Amino acid sequence: MDTKAQLFCAWCGVGFLVLFSVGWWFIAGYIPPISPALGASEVAAVYQQNTGFIRLGMAITMFSAALSAPWVAVIAVQLKRIEGEFPALTYSLLVAGAVGVVVLVVPPMVWTTAAFRPERDAELIMLLNDFAWLFFVMTFSPFFIQNLVIGLAVFIDKAESPVFPRWVGYFNIWVAILLIPGGLITFFKTGPFAWDGILAFWLPLLVFFGWFVVMFPLLLKAIKQQEQAA
Amino acid sequence: MNATVSGESALVQTEYHTKIHVPGEVGIWVFIFGDMLIFGVFFIVFIFYRGLNPELFLQSQAMLNQNYGAINTLFLLASSWFVAMAVEDMRSKQVRLAPVFFALAIFCGAGFGMVKIIEYSEKINAGITITSNDFFMYYYIFTGLHFLHVLIGMGVLVFLWLKARAAAKNKMTRAGDIIEKDMVLIESGASYWHMVDLLWIVLFPLLYLIK
Repeated sequence: MDTKAQLFCAWCGVGFLVLFSVGWWFIAGYIPPISPALGASEVAAVYQQNTGFIRLGMAITMFSAALSAPWVAVIAVQLKRIEGEFPALTYSLLVAGAVGVVVLVVPPMVWTTAAFRPERDAELIMLLNDFAWLFFVMTFSPFFIQNLVIGLAVFIDKAESPVFPRWVGYFNIWVAILLIPGGLITFFKTGPFAWDGILAFWLPLLVFFGWFVVMFPLLLKAIKQQEQAA
Repeated sequence: MNATVSGESALVQTEYHTKIHVPGEVGIWVFIFGDMLIFGVFFIVFIFYRGLNPELFLQSQAMLNQNYGAINTLFLLASSWFVAMAVEDMRSKQVRLAPVFFALAIFCGAGFGMVKIIEYSEKINAGITITSNDFFMYYYIFTGLHFLHVLIGMGVLVFLWLKARAAAKNKMTRAGDIIEKDMVLIESGASYWHMVDLLWIVLFPLLYLIK
């Protein structure tokens, strides 16, 4: 059977990681994050000094976000192999993944709005900056569900040669739980649970990227196994 | 090993009968060590920030009720012991008391939850919340995340209790290999519950006791 479309979708995940890093990290310079403890004029200064970089970076970031759609879709195709005729977990993954794209697309558009008129009132720039960061770091719920349903689907796989090994189920649930601290950033401007803190930002970011790195070869293996079985 | 068994049960059986017996399925340990790693990072972060402001942390710590922490430690230690006894019973020739032990473990877990809720509401009524200071930020988040683990664990224990009850009712025995697959599930769940206990044993001195 032909698995070219699935392989293309899997590689879109790699494309997402690379382009997102280029736009968000290397060009716009959002790593390390703009501290939530900064005052309005300091935040505005960031947008006034890096206007061009942020505009370009956000255009690339916005584009890269949609590449996570095929990535989630191909994982869903593999989950469908587990679930068969009534794929509730697969559909949950698709819906959560679609919302995930929105969560990844909206913040770049808000960041670029802040950079659109950097000469405007510093308070307004801070408002946009706050909104983008809160939306970006705090909205862990669709990704939580995404990882949770993958984990559950792996557990119900009763096939002789399962689509994913069972530890992948535990791994996905572990990742899901690790994303939770992001939901706390609304309470803090400094410390480990602020949006630039180690437990609310760095750890979930590392784990989210690590999840792609772990899932990619497993996905290729699952697609290959499907090809050989057919 | 029976050569005619299907692939899946063969896999489970080899997992159970490996020379060095790993309790439960191997995958659960990915989760357990992963989770302990994260709590390890939590504890290091706590110690680091505590070092920056030791007076505030000591003052705030004095506002905690050590009795609640101690009672909860006893609850979790007892429940862990009951779970261990239940697993021992499940491993024996005939399942007898495992359902009772699991029920007692669930009771202790519920006791932990009750005490935790009383403790939280006392603090909140006294005006102490997650934003009061750094110490209480850690207090609420760490104990809150641990409490989430307890709640998940309660679900797991109920599941194990049902399994044990079914095994006792049907007079299933290890000798008959009937509950082989269930044994892996039971050991996995028990290992998870022991981890919840272990995390609390570190959390309790870290938040309530260290001077």
